Amino acid sequence: MKKLIITTILIICSVLPALSQAKKPTIMVVPSDLWCNTNGYMMEFDNQGTRVKLPDYKRAMQESADLMVVISKINELMTQRGFPLKNLESSLKSLETEAAETAMSSSRSGAELSESPIDKLKNIARADIWIQMTWTINTMGPRRSVTFVLQGLDAYTDKQVAGASGTGNQLIATELPIMLETAVLSHLDNFNGQLQQHFDDMFENGREITLRIRKWDSFDGDLMTEYGGDELGFQIENWVSDNTVQGRFSTADASENRMIFEQVRIPLYDANNRAVDARTWVRGLQRYLKDRFMIDSRITMRGLGQATLTVGEK
Amino acid sequence: MKKVLKKTTLTFIITLLFLLIASEAMYGQSRRNKKENTDIWKYEIEGVQTGVQGTYLIKVWSYSPNANLAVEQAKKNAVHGIIFRGFAGSGRVPGQRALATNPNLEVEKQDFFRLFFAEGGKYLKFVSLTNDGAVAAEDRLRVGKEYKIGVIMSVNVDALRKDLEEAGIIKSLGRGF
Repeated sequence: MKKLIITTILIICSVLPALSQAKKPTIMVVPSDLWCNTNGYMMEFDNQGTRVKLPDYKRAMQESADLMVVISKINELMTQRGFPLKNLESSLKSLETEAAETAMSSSRSGAELSESPIDKLKNIARADIWIQMTWTINTMGPRRSVTFVLQGLDAYTDKQVAGASGTGNQLIATELPIMLETAVLSHLDNFNGQLQQHFDDMFENGREITLRIRKWDSFDGDLMTEYGGDELGFQIENWVSDNTVQGRFSTADASENRMIFEQVRIPLYDANNRAVDARTWVRGLQRYLKDRFMIDSRITMRGLGQATLTVGEK
Repeated sequence: MKKVLKKTTLTFIITLLFLLIASEAMYGQSRRNKKENTDIWKYEIEGVQTGVQGTYLIKVWSYSPNANLAVEQAKKNAVHGIIFRGFAGSGRVPGQRALATNPNLEVEKQDFFRLFFAEGGKYLKFVSLTNDGAVAAEDRLRVGKEYKIGVIMSVNVDALRKDLEEAGIIKSLGRGF
């Protein structure tokens, strides 16, 4: 009986890692800034004296039927591949609904929902990977062709993880939506092939994230102050080195006030076999600084792949 | 008279035997050539046009001493090419990558693929001839002692990919999440 129980426990332990799932990145298709600018879907505002232009996704979705065709086709094909995407239009609507609910919510005692300026700033459409697309129509006499570009961009490392582009056949009297659909069909498989390679690399070498270290000005010390026989910055760097997959990371910037670590490869699962993202991984560094040097810190995160640890206080 | 009849019968039997042996030798040779060309996967693929959703429209150039066999062989080659080789773009038709990302997959899963590509195997489910396999005059070339035949085929890539994913041969995009 004892043997049976031990065998069962061993089997469960060996099967568990196979059952656990890594945190799935969200992907969203958006028109590129170039497409929005060319087609007049930009909004301008004055940012402390500088004119800034930003894509107006909401207006683009409401006014361009061609854009709807392309996004819908890509979403449909990705769903068929077992990887449904976040829909831009639905995300924009959810944000509006959430904003309206936040504005109207109050407790019985009249208290309102807490929202810091950073919460408001972060209230934008989010995805871990953006599929940015552009198309241009080339005209030569009565013939038309479509040049189509798809770029898969990692939101945290700013790397292009997949891409496909090309110009389709020159056609006469063919409707643009059909030409666009053909362009999507022609290029999406190659795009997905590269995306698959990106995921394979992630499973083999860990998730690539960006880590920023900053300090509050109330902190009595800085990243060059000695703690435990070495500068705090180097102590942090040592922890990062010990806790990355094969010690893979690069220190992009380091000063007394901030450090930036890029190409940080974190494991997909922790010691308890739970899925890890940037925030849960940096939680380990936060605990290390508290336990070892009695330094409080605050974690702020952006999606699965970017975290900032601000040392000095919570 | 009896002697003449006997001689004629003997001549007839010898001729018949000769013809039988000759035809077997020819058929056996063509069978061997077919197998050899399939075993070494001697073919070329080019994209013809973007197919309807979920399919690739490709031209497969197969080599065989027998023109009819080349057409049949092209089906096998088409599916093999889509899984392991992919194809380069032609003009404005973009090329496509192979379904298998692991270059050693064919060897690692040889038991699966031996059955998959056997005569009358499962590969036939995913390929269909266009124009009933009619070969254009310019796509029928004589190269040395064999024919190089170009046949346009439609390969149902979506179904093929799904089948290989379900069999655990290739990974799906969302696997592991």
